[in-house]
Amino acid sequence: MKVSHKDRITTPQAVIVLINYILAAGILTLPRTSVEKVKTPDVWLSVIIGGLIAIIAGVIMVKLSQQFPGKTIYQYSQVLLGKWLGGLLSLLIVGHFFTLAAYEVRALAEVTGFFLLEGTPIWAIIMPFMWVGLYLVFDGINPIARLFEIIFPITVVIFLLVTFMGFEIFEIDNVRPVLGLGLIPVLKGIKTTVLAFLGPEIMLLLTAFMQKPNKATKVILVGIAIPMIFYIITVIMVIGALSIDGVVLRTWPTLDLIRSFEIQGLIFERFESLLLVIWIMQIFSTFTITYYAASLGLSQIFKMKMNPFMYGLLFIIYVIALIPKNINDLFKFGDLIGNAALVLFGVLPLLLLLISKVKGGKT
Amino acid sequence: MKRRKIEIKLSQQQQQQTSQIEKQPETAKVPFTGNITIDLDQVRKELGHNSDVGFREFFLGNTGIRASIIFLYGLTDKELINKYILKSLMTNFPERHEHREVSLKEFITNQALTISDLTEVNNLYDTVSKILTGNTALLVDGIQEVIILGTTKEKARNIEEPVSEALVRGPRIGFTETLSDNTAILRQHGCNHNLSIIQIQVGARSKKELVIAFINDIADPALVDEVKERIKTINIDDLPESGYVEQLIEDNYLSPFPQVQNTERPDRVFSALMEGKIAILLDGSPFALIVPVTFSMLLQSPEDYYERWIPGSLIRLLRFLAAILSLFAPSMYIAFISFHPGLIPTKLALSIISSREGVPFPALIEALIMEISIEILREAGLRLPKPIGPAMGIVGGLIIGEAAVQAGIISPIMVIVVSITAISSFAIPQYSAGITLRILRFVAMFCAAVFGLYGIILFFLLLCSHLVKLKSFGVPYVSPAVPYRISDWKDFILRMPLFMMKRRPKMLHTRDSNRKG
Amino acid sequence: MKRRNFFWLLKCSLVLLLLLQLTGCWSSKEIEELGLVAGTALDLEKKADLSEEVEGHEERYPNRVMITITNQLITSQTTESGKKTGAPQQKSFKNVSETGDSILPVLRKMILKIDKRAFAQHSKVIVIGEDLTRTLNLQQILDFFLREQEMRLSGQILIAKNNAKKTLESQETSVIPAFHLFQITKSQERTTKILPPLSLAKVMGKLHSGSSFLVQTVVSEKGEVKFAGAAVIKGKTKKLLGFLNEKELEGIVWLTGKGKGGVVKSFDKATSQPIIYEIKSMKSKIQPRIVNNNISFDVKIESEGSIAEHWVPSGKPFENEFLKKAEKTTEKEVESLVKNVLVKTQQNYRVDVAGFGNRLRIEYPRVWEKVKQDWDHTFSKIPIKYNVNLTVKDYGTSGSN
Repeated sequence: MKVSHKDRITTPQAVIVLINYILAAGILTLPRTSVEKVKTPDVWLSVIIGGLIAIIAGVIMVKLSQQFPGKTIYQYSQVLLGKWLGGLLSLLIVGHFFTLAAYEVRALAEVTGFFLLEGTPIWAIIMPFMWVGLYLVFDGINPIARLFEIIFPITVVIFLLVTFMGFEIFEIDNVRPVLGLGLIPVLKGIKTTVLAFLGPEIMLLLTAFMQKPNKATKVILVGIAIPMIFYIITVIMVIGALSIDGVVLRTWPTLDLIRSFEIQGLIFERFESLLLVIWIMQIFSTFTITYYAASLGLSQIFKMKMNPFMYGLLFIIYVIALIPKNINDLFKFGDLIGNAALVLFGVLPLLLLLISKVKGGKT
Repeated sequence: MKRRKIEIKLSQQQQQQTSQIEKQPETAKVPFTGNITIDLDQVRKELGHNSDVGFREFFLGNTGIRASIIFLYGLTDKELINKYILKSLMTNFPERHEHREVSLKEFITNQALTISDLTEVNNLYDTVSKILTGNTALLVDGIQEVIILGTTKEKARNIEEPVSEALVRGPRIGFTETLSDNTAILRQHGCNHNLSIIQIQVGARSKKELVIAFINDIADPALVDEVKERIKTINIDDLPESGYVEQLIEDNYLSPFPQVQNTERPDRVFSALMEGKIAILLDGSPFALIVPVTFSMLLQSPEDYYERWIPGSLIRLLRFLAAILSLFAPSMYIAFISFHPGLIPTKLALSIISSREGVPFPALIEALIMEISIEILREAGLRLPKPIGPAMGIVGGLIIGEAAVQAGIISPIMVIVVSITAISSFAIPQYSAGITLRILRFVAMFCAAVFGLYGIILFFLLLCSHLVKLKSFGVPYVSPAVPYRISDWKDFILRMPLFMMKRRPKMLHTRDSNRKG
Repeated sequence: MKRRNFFWLLKCSLVLLLLLQLTGCWSSKEIEELGLVAGTALDLEKKADLSEEVEGHEERYPNRVMITITNQLITSQTTESGKKTGAPQQKSFKNVSETGDSILPVLRKMILKIDKRAFAQHSKVIVIGEDLTRTLNLQQILDFFLREQEMRLSGQILIAKNNAKKTLESQETSVIPAFHLFQITKSQERTTKILPPLSLAKVMGKLHSGSSFLVQTVVSEKGEVKFAGAAVIKGKTKKLLGFLNEKELEGIVWLTGKGKGGVVKSFDKATSQPIIYEIKSMKSKIQPRIVNNNISFDVKIESEGSIAEHWVPSGKPFENEFLKKAEKTTEKEVESLVKNVLVKTQQNYRVDVAGFGNRLRIEYPRVWEKVKQDWDHTFSKIPIKYNVNLTVKDYGTSGSN
């Protein structure tokens, strides 16, 4: 069951898949969650450190995957840990992917229901979204990667356009001083910012699909650096406009940044619709890639065709997405996924890498 | 998967063909006897009841050998038959040919007949089909084979400027209904010894000639094979137009997008050939097909290359904008008016509010009324005789629109939106692509009416999901946009200066990737 | 395979379409059925008229403050009548008022009065009456507006002297007063007598940080609405402390260096004729100093400008001496403006509204952490030195008068 040649993706495609996976629900809330912890304007430093940590974790995962060319974690974990333990680990990873998918879908429903479609029931927002995702995922990784390639430039252009329009209300005093209270507050925020970089784990699968797997480290570097730039711009612009004290009060601070100014004389005076457009696209890409990763996992663990799992997972994701009762539950749910991911992808890959080195040394 | 499908189709096809032949044993490959009386009777039985079939029996010169020609009135060139066939066989035929060292057949074919197009067949089935395409069959007593003489007189119209693709600058020449003329135009246009023109016969009952044209040392051989294979799978009675071919060889019949490009312009065909694409021409149709096709090609016009690169690029950008407008303008309007009035500028909101006062319908119904009436208007304009067409447009567009606004049924802003949409869709150079966008526009409108902006985003994502899956003869439909191939982007949204386009599109896997040298 | 997929999709979309038929379009709201809220005015209701308003359950909380909310609505009727020429002129807006003890219930009460759904996304200003801000915490007043997603954060906050409702009135029929106010809030370019605009987005940070701040003030006199001075909101109580008049406001603008244009009028000593200095650029640097745990501030104000008008008969702008003299008198004037406002804020109001605290936070974050709890009090005793330096660059096209 090696990955067939048809399903190979190019290196830029891998980079873009990673970027689109990382950029998701977090970009709307990151300024608030991180400022809550850091409490000084140095949040952007936390973001950088968080990104660096994510890069290290990503490189470990890539090194691990490169030991088994053409195989995904679901396949080589069984080689490394034995059938049962490996299977269990794979199931955990699958679980991570589809709960993350459910979380993203729910976050989408919350934001869309609040800002765009007041009064539309959640199921009606979620269901067509998931169907479109299912249609895309059917034909494997290649269409997914290509769709991401369409979404990505749109995201970059609109994001830069919209955030830089916010310069009108940007106040440099709000982001000063740098390191006024030392490094300690910055360190407090790192856990939050690392969670914003949830995504390098996709390389555990993606490396197997790459045409040139030896470039996977580069993919990690670029693929995390670009979201890092996005995050830094977001955090600085939002804090600069709303100030530290304003940010902590807002549920979706990034959207509030865009809602805080109007530019007259253009076709659009208000730009939150544009931001929501790219945000929904980003959620869609995160949803599809996690959904695909979960179905791929199940099909490889049970060595069966993928389609039945896709239908099944669609239902499971839908049910999980409806579990959180309110928005606080949703944020807690997100933290839960993040904490689980820290263990699952922060510690375990290193262990696996060690095991594979030891085993490799023996034979 | 696709390959397998084709194989299955192919084997079915072969089975069908063989069974067809088994059904008609008498006309099938029964060889002629060589006895002219018997053979002629056979042909008569098959064709004799037709009033337009002529049988002319005669003797070869003074030798007393019986011979006969069979031909169709009207389709054959009578002058050719009289001057070069009958005259050379009857009056100029030497009395005693036996003294020569060649057989009678060889003598006739090699020395007597002064005619260029000459083949031999030996059974009734082939003979009849050749006669029906305008050839003349020559039966000679004692010769088993039938000599087929190319005497087809083409019923051709003059070469005119193509109606469907008008250009300001560019050759004023278009394909006609005659295949041989079309191939001749290509040859003349190309002046390239590597231009391959391969003929295939299609159609189970009415035989049509079909030509695949490509440049030998550029086109990807795998692509050529693929095209040939797909054309072989065509199994249909009759192909009146190249649109039939298009529909029978396309990749995905469910897609709203055209996967084969059609054109009346030889210059367009030839530049496609030079990029490594393949053209398919069918006898009886002035529309040549070009495969593979990508979405961006549908928004290109040959003029982009004839103009200098700056206007060429800008006009192309304009067309992309027009495509986006014609697809999304009405749905955006619906979404903003009935879902997100807070997202439009305040002053615009005020003027829309005042213009919509008293309009009895919600935005979707209003838009549907206008869009559908404009579609009807357009369709009616096509059917009407040419002098009335524009008048119709004026009546429909101006008078009805104005009256509807006056009556308060439609808001003036909606009229503006709908007209912008209509005008934008006219700016798309390919008619078939324009139709696609028109269909999808309605889908987008419904999505917008249900979910507002969110619906439009979902529609866009669905559309893109479909597009990234779609392939035209193995080439991704959305290339060169994705997967990223920077070198192909020189001729994508912008048309870079010619000297920069040194390479052919990579997506076509051409044999020779350099345009120069 | 492909065929099956398609029919599956087709079925799905059919089901979807049917579902949509059943449920309708949940969130759709046609634009002409909305009444756009252009601005909102909040006033304290005088107790006298209250008795009839009080309903059953409100009696249990007898001491509740009653608020009157006035929404300025623009509906399809008002816009159309405003546009048609010849027809009897009618106002292009409609003010609707309602009273209650919290914001949303009151707004909902308005539904009973108007046929359109009030839609606040185009709301430009919130005007709060003087009395209301004196009695109620600004955070509480604005809580609804900061919470409601329909309120855009780009809306401006204004405080009205006397009555807020009156500021949304206008004699002219074609003007929408709320938009009128909104445009004026941004006229900082050409005068120093107005503050930089304060939007909802900015106010929430200020409210949460607990620092004192200024709000633009409007006053309605004889049917005319004009901007006058600024309202001082105390950071601790978040209530209105008092007003700064126009002179004091000018002092604040000079102190903060936020002005973008305007004029300074000073009098020539010898002739007591006015010299008008037009500001081209303005810069101020507030430098905190800490010596032996004692905080002090140095303010350095620099400006470039031109002489726009001078009535001094002997003044010859071609001579540098005259320019120097003009500079000096103008500097004196600015110094007195600054001094004036410092006295007022440090001694009368005892609040920091010019951003001294913010500078301290940036330059000495650790000191700030210690003093920020009681900053307004600390500030009132801090010595402040200031130094004004003006440069006259040109004198227009005319040399002498």
